[in-house]
Amino acid sequence: MSEVILEIEGFSGPCWVCKRTLIRSSGCVKQVALAAASPPKYHLDTLCSLSDIAVVTMISLSDPRNSNPVLSALKIKPQDKIISIRENLTADSNFILTHLIKQILYEKNRLCLVSFHNPVEHYQYVGKKLGYDLLKAVEDNVVKIVEPISDIVENIGLEENYLQEDKENLVKCFYHDIKRCLSDISTEETQTYLMVDDLSHLLDLGVDLSVIINFVNYCVNFINNDRVSVVLNSHVSSKIDEIIANNLQYIADVHIEVSPLNTGRSTDVTGFLTVERSTGKSRYHYKAFDRGDKNFPSR
Amino acid sequence: MEKKNQNIPGTTQKYQNGQLLTSSGIPSLDSLLGGGFPRKTFMDLILKLFLNTFAEGIAKKHSVFIASQDVNPSSIIKELPAVIENEPETDSKISKTCDGSDKMKIAFRYQNLPTVDSSTSNIKHIGHSFDLSRNMSLNDIENSEIYYWTGQRIENGFNQSINKNINGWLIQSEHHLLHCNFTPPYRDRGGPNSMGFGFSSERSKTFSNPAYNELLKSIKNKIKEGKFFLKDNPVKRSVLRIGIHSLGSPMWLPHRKSLHSINSTRDLDMFIFCLRALVRSAYAIAVITVPTHLYHEVSLDRCIHSSDIAMRLQAFSGTELENNQSLSDYQGFFYLTKLAAINSLVSRHPGSIEYAFKLRRKKFSIEVLHLPPDIQDDGKKENLPSFGCGRGNKQLLDF
Repeated sequence: MSEVILEIEGFSGPCWVCKRTLIRSSGCVKQVALAAASPPKYHLDTLCSLSDIAVVTMISLSDPRNSNPVLSALKIKPQDKIISIRENLTADSNFILTHLIKQILYEKNRLCLVSFHNPVEHYQYVGKKLGYDLLKAVEDNVVKIVEPISDIVENIGLEENYLQEDKENLVKCFYHDIKRCLSDISTEETQTYLMVDDLSHLLDLGVDLSVIINFVNYCVNFINNDRVSVVLNSHVSSKIDEIIANNLQYIADVHIEVSPLNTGRSTDVTGFLTVERSTGKSRYHYKAFDRGDKNFPSR
Repeated sequence: MEKKNQNIPGTTQKYQNGQLLTSSGIPSLDSLLGGGFPRKTFMDLILKLFLNTFAEGIAKKHSVFIASQDVNPSSIIKELPAVIENEPETDSKISKTCDGSDKMKIAFRYQNLPTVDSSTSNIKHIGHSFDLSRNMSLNDIENSEIYYWTGQRIENGFNQSINKNINGWLIQSEHHLLHCNFTPPYRDRGGPNSMGFGFSSERSKTFSNPAYNELLKSIKNKIKEGKFFLKDNPVKRSVLRIGIHSLGSPMWLPHRKSLHSINSTRDLDMFIFCLRALVRSAYAIAVITVPTHLYHEVSLDRCIHSSDIAMRLQAFSGTELENNQSLSDYQGFFYLTKLAAINSLVSRHPGSIEYAFKLRRKKFSIEVLHLPPDIQDDGKKENLPSFGCGRGNKQLLDF
């Protein structure tokens, strides 16, 4: 049995033996992790029983929807059909997307990821830290990736596909790509998620606002199939971006907003996170760590 | 793949997220960014940084691609600072002398702050130091692969007459010209709107100023030819440093449209997004300087969103801060607008610390802004009337 030292930040979850709920809100806990296959016969934390060794593996922890601070704040359910994410100015909403991928893979659902902002490599690195292997999921045909950020390289100079003059046609082709991917992976038993990382990059490609709104409309129409949900991420820095983001907010079942701190930057808190539903709005401060994020309720 | 990365000269691999870092050429900037520019990075910056970055590239034998429509890129290369061969005094030596000095009583909130930022001092420096007072020798420049883009045609090498002496290089230059789909001379082919400048005859469908498209095309060809793409498998892996000077300046406006139209910013946004895609898929870094002071209404926010690192330098000269005594050590403020998290959730942004830059005769450096203690005697205090039962002829050190 090999020993691995894991550093877990902001971990919370029940102990396997004494069922005591442990919530770590500050500091970093160093625990000894043994191989994942070993039965959970030890206490989770040395606080439960000082003589026992804690057994923790990142992957075999309890349901991430409860134990993961981000996912427990978001509380995304299969009924949430349209999830819009708005990132303001210099804030980075990437952690929301990568955590949602974690939940999707945990629930054994299907995912079509459209990536404008980061190459797949980035998601793979972050995914490994969060405890999933995206490329393996791609191999298993659970995840399909449409990667305009890589495909564009081929079009540079030739002015085809993503760089063609007819922007409406560009969006049409793009839509058909997504549709094909969705039909490839969707099954009767599972929920299929369409995730677009940064819709606002369509603006950079010269697509008109009206065409983008139209595209959003088409994407949203995917939910006519009960087994499909859409996650649309949009960055806001200019007025035109804001129109897209407001439109997304208007149609969304769950609206998530990530903003930087109003007063500048801090080493203790990265920014604000707002989760808005028809039932109410909750606000958090969040701090990004290399192994996940930590939320604090905020007023 | 990862093992291969370690063999690239002038780079170092970051353990946490497998990022490949390359030096910016300024030790203080490297430590601020956590070791250097991540490979596949992308940023906006100003000329001195620009020069150092490319001097570093040449010192490390990286390939360099320089583009500008404002000045001749070869004159930028001529101004590159020389490498200091001897290792400069390390910071630890300096901090030791500080520790040895007498203890000074300071305000409690600063008392526990480390004098040297421990997070940055651990970082191993991978770059060279440069002497701004001297220029890099012609010999070094001749032996490097440098590509110039002037907006009219690509020139390979520093000076054609020098090139002829170096066989291998000349072959490469011919090879390069073959790969670029240029049909020189441009000047002769202009239509009624051309005003004698390039590209007017080759209309771009997507960009309103075809120069953007041509530049992207040239960069892509360069990456392809030098086998810098991630998927390529060259014998010896190297890094391409792309420099674009004064992008979006009036020289980049579309010829037929007057001043800053909406389309001209769209061009810039699209260009930067395409360049991001290019650079992210190759062993390359791109440094772009944008003269934002020329812009009033046009916002660069979308460009910043598409970039990985964004910095802003604000000089004191010409502003009311110019004669401020307490800022006399510095030449201007340095703002780190954005430092993206690549392959990670955490950005290494140092928080709300203020930085300033110093431009000395030999060195350009970025430091945490420290205001000097207010202990200067400005003569006024002596004339103050004394109150209470104090003696009139009080000495300075009396209480």
